[in-house]
Formats: sequence, C-alpha cells, structure tokens
Amino acid sequence: MRALCWEGVNDLRVQTVPDPVIVNPHDVILRITMSTTCGSDLHFIDGYVPSMLPGDVIGHEFMGVVEDVGPEVKKVKKGDRVVVPSFVACGDCWYCQHDLYSLCDNTNPNAELQAPLLGYPTGACFGYTHAFGGYAGSHAQYMRVPHADVGCFQVPEGLRDEQVLFLSDAAPTGYMGADFCDIKPGDIVAVWGCGGVGLMAQQSAFLLGAERVIAIDRFPERLKMARDHIGSETINYVETPDVLAVLHEMTGGRGPDACIDAVGMEAYGTGPGYLYDKAKQTLRLVTDRGQALRQAIMAVRKGGTLSILGVYGVMDKFPIGVLMNKGVTVRTAQQHGQHYLPRLLEHAVKGELDPSYLATHRFSLEDGPRAYAMFKNKEDGIVRAVFTP
Amino acid sequence: MDAGSPLGGPATSGIADALKGTLSRGAGKASQEQRRVTLILGGVLLTLGLRRISFGGVALALAGGALLYRELARRSGQAGAETNMAEVARSITIGKSADELHRFWREGGYLPRVMGHFAEITETDMDQAHWTVRVPGGRSLSWDTQVVESRPGELVRWQSLPGADLPNWGEMRLRPAPGDRGTEVTLRLHFQPPGGTLGAAVARALNGLVPSLLVGDALRRFKSLAETGEIPTLDRNPSARASTA
Ligand SMILES: [Zn+2]
Ligand SMILES: [Zn+2]
Repeated sequence: MRALCWEGVNDLRVQTVPDPVIVNPHDVILRITMSTTCGSDLHFIDGYVPSMLPGDVIGHEFMGVVEDVGPEVKKVKKGDRVVVPSFVACGDCWYCQHDLYSLCDNTNPNAELQAPLLGYPTGACFGYTHAFGGYAGSHAQYMRVPHADVGCFQVPEGLRDEQVLFLSDAAPTGYMGADFCDIKPGDIVAVWGCGGVGLMAQQSAFLLGAERVIAIDRFPERLKMARDHIGSETINYVETPDVLAVLHEMTGGRGPDACIDAVGMEAYGTGPGYLYDKAKQTLRLVTDRGQALRQAIMAVRKGGTLSILGVYGVMDKFPIGVLMNKGVTVRTAQQHGQHYLPRLLEHAVKGELDPSYLATHRFSLEDGPRAYAMFKNKEDGIVRAVFTP
Repeated sequence: MDAGSPLGGPATSGIADALKGTLSRGAGKASQEQRRVTLILGGVLLTLGLRRISFGGVALALAGGALLYRELARRSGQAGAETNMAEVARSITIGKSADELHRFWREGGYLPRVMGHFAEITETDMDQAHWTVRVPGGRSLSWDTQVVESRPGELVRWQSLPGADLPNWGEMRLRPAPGDRGTEVTLRLHFQPPGGTLGAAVARALNGLVPSLLVGDALRRFKSLAETGEIPTLDRNPSARASTA
C-alpha cells in the first residue's frame, strides 16, 4: 500500500510499504477513508521529540471502514464505518476502567523504553514516536487498529466523513480540555490557540455551559473562524501589546475562570521570553517555547483552573509560584477519547457540533509532503490538511 | 537514533563504562586471543542491544551479556575465587487475583509467551522447561529449569539445572494490592557470575541493565496477557524500512 513516511527531520516521503495484517486477536484492519494533519506531528517533523525511526508511517487522526476483523473482536464488524481515537486503549486495565484511557497500561509495546522518560509509561498513540508505541499511522491506505472493540466507534447514519473525522483527535482533546474546567453558570473561559484543538475547546466550553469564551491567536483567518463558527470573542496578540491587560478589562478585573492552553511547544510569542525560548530550541537545548502557557498562568483568576492540552517536553522559567499563590487547579492529559466519543457523536447527530469547517484543504495522499509544508507554514489560511487515501 | 532517545542517555553510557572497565582489565589478564574476541563480542552485543529500540534489541543485549558472562566464568574457574550474586527484582500491579495469576503462570503455554521477547521456551512438563536464547551468528545459549516451589496465590520459584550456559534462578511472588487494584507481582532473577574483579564488574553490568529491561518487559507482557488476553506488539508493523528486525 502507499503511506506517508517520516524519513528524517523535515523529510516526509510517500512510499510503498507492506499492507497491515491482523496480528493480535482483538485487531481490525481499517481501510482509511479520511486522515488529517495535527499540530503535534510538527514536533517530530521538526525533530523536537526523539525516537522516530526513518520509514515510520505517520498520522493519528482518522476514520475508515472495517476490512478485516480478528478472532476475538466482538462488537465491530466487517463493513462498519468507524471513527477511532488517536490513543490506543485496552479497556481492561485499571486506567481504562477509570476512564483514563490515554494512560492505558497495556497498549504500548515500548513501555519499558518510555518509562524512563515519564516515570511510568502511557498508552500508545498511532503514527507517533516509538516512545509512544511506534504503531504505523493513518496517512496510509490501510491500518491495523488493536483493541478494536474499545477504540472503534460506529458512525451514525447521515453524518458526512468531514463531520466525523475530527472526532478522532481534535474534538475529544478540546472537549476534555473544557470538561477539565468544571464550567459553572457565568464562567468565562479563555483559550490560547485557534488551531483544530483550540477551536474545539472553545466550542466545547459553550456546549458545557460557559457564559463567554475568549480566543487568543495571531492568525486573523483563524480568529475569524472562532467568531463566525463558535461565537468566541477574540484577541490577536500580535496587534495587542498587552494581552493580560485586555483580558483583565474584558473580565471586570477578575480574570477568566478557566484558561485552556491549546498551543503547546509550537507557541509563537513576541517578547524577550519568546526570543530566549526560541534561541534555546534552535540550539537543540530543547526546552519548550512556553509563552502561551506562562500567559495563561498569569491571566487565570485566583482559584481558577488551568487546563493544558498543548504538548510539552521540558520547560524552564516555569512560574510555579504564581500557580501556588493563586491557588490554581491544573488539569491536563492526552485525550481520553474513548470516554468522550459517545457524547461527541451525540452532539454531532443533534447538530450541536460540526467541525467540518476545520477541513480547509484537501489533498491526495501522494501530495502528503506538500500538504505538511503548507500546514507547517500556515499558508493560505490552512487549519487542517485532509487526506482521502 | 540519537542522544535524545530513551536509551541514548546516561543509562547506556553507564553500561558502556562498566563494560569498558571490564574489558580493559580482562585484556590485561587474558592470554588467549579467542577469549579476548569473545569478551569483546559479548560487550559489543550488550551495548548494541541496549541502543536499539526493539524487543529484538533486548534479546541481543541479553545474549551479549551471557556471552561475556560465559567467557568470564571459564576464566574465573582458572583463578578460583569469591562469588558475586547479580540480582534484579521488579514489581508490577496486575488487575487479577493472586490465585488467577498463579494459575496462569503454571498453565502450559503462558511462560513461553511471557518470555518470548528474549527466549524460546519449551515446556517439557509442568515443572520443567528448556530455554534457548539465540545469539547472532548462529549460536545459542540454553539451559533447563526446574520449578522447585509453587504455592497457589503466593509464589512460583525455579532454578536452572546443572550444565546451564548461564546459571540462574528466579521467583514470582504475589500479594494482594489495596482496593480494586488486583495483585502486586514481584519477579526476581538471580545470576551467579564468577568471582574476582571481573566477576564483580559483570555483576554490576548484569545488575543494572539487561535484567532490568528483561524483567520489566516480562512483567509487562505477563500483565497484558493476563488482563487483555494479548501482548502489544509491533510484529508486521508497516513501515518503509526493509525489515522490522
Ligand atoms: Zn493530534
Ligand atoms: Zn487499558
């Protein structure tokens, strides 16, 4: 089959690779109908996270049709049209049984190698680094999905592919981020980042009862999406010299009740802090740029919630004292998609959640390298590049 | 892989340093070129194996350690001296009862799958098994084990029989975990390296590295098999690499 492969830093190529087969009894083979780029892919494309190997098939946000099922698969059937969260979960371990699916104990074949990095290993993610399992990803014609009964969610009739695709990763991540905020009537939620995850976090905050949502980004077309599709108020931090002062005034001097960081180590700032981070990152000293996160920590009200969705490695100059003195609750995780998918599909069927506007650009799989170049440079107002292999 | 990789950092260089010490001291005493080559080969295999992100790599590392060990054991036989024990113990919590886990471990077919990342195991009867570890270059190391103690819900203990290429013994202990967490399982492996300075160096190397990965992987495989009925794997994982060794 054809697949988009990582061959080195900033070197993606479409290659012919072996077809996947059923290996374990709970596996299915999926024919991929749609797959999309995610900001966290840029971390290994740019070489900021370790343990990729040349030839790895990438991609972790996808949907497809079941082609083949393993002998122990009970619920999923051949021909089912399904959407699958990007983290693989077994459904049986203590973490899965406590709805902490991305922390699954039983899906990462490289758990012993990841453990030294984190203290304890997490579940695996499709199409990501070998520390996160090394499973072949979704930018391919076919894909093996382990523990299919836990990960495959049947798509209800009447929903188009692009309405469902983002329920694989961006929507559950954003929804979880808003869920972490424990939103009460009257709450104001500020969201850093208007990429796929940030926009989904904003929409989810409204679905979960937020009074107002404030979105912070630097791209006018993305901020317009936040206003037009979601009803967020927006701040362009390039045009606004003091984001904290603006947030202060917009919230009557209280600060947002909850702040969601949906940017991560991609964060692009303007001040000296940004230059310091960027210089270190360029020198491969790999402490993350953390402008958005530091700003969110300052902005959040006393006793409020900081919800971190951005993916970080190591960050220095981290203002832990601000969190402590303000009594901030910090919540964070990789997405527990298996917990949120039923709810998200329900919202989609009712017409309350339609992320199809994220699919700004379509490509064939053969155009994968060009699609990622555009996505990385945010050319032509691209939010997500979608492949139809 | 690069210096930022999970195994590229201090852990590997620690082993490599230990080996370098072993090898240089060994070279001074060794008289036969062939033994020197075996030593170096063992060291290289061990370091190589530890640098590779794969279960194959772990097997390679173990084989390297075993080769090194065997050569040193032969040499210490000449010198005759004190003995060092290398031991590694690791724990994991598994969401099954101690009785179930004991039964699984003793069930035919379970052990070969749990240890399948480094050894080929043939169970000759309920208490005896034959272990084979392949070494690149067509060689292999093997030994037989005998279960010497088995108490349902508590422990299983085994030891290698005389003539083993890498004498060892091990045990799996079970105790209930608090609340709804299942059972705490501790897997302990003992190796008996030769005496002397060389033996001590090997013991250090064996102690920190190979067995820890080996035992950690074995425990995770046991847990996944017991909890889900399968072991996560990258077998036949599509990639643009020529082979997925
Ligand atoms: Zn993602
Ligand atoms: Zn699990």
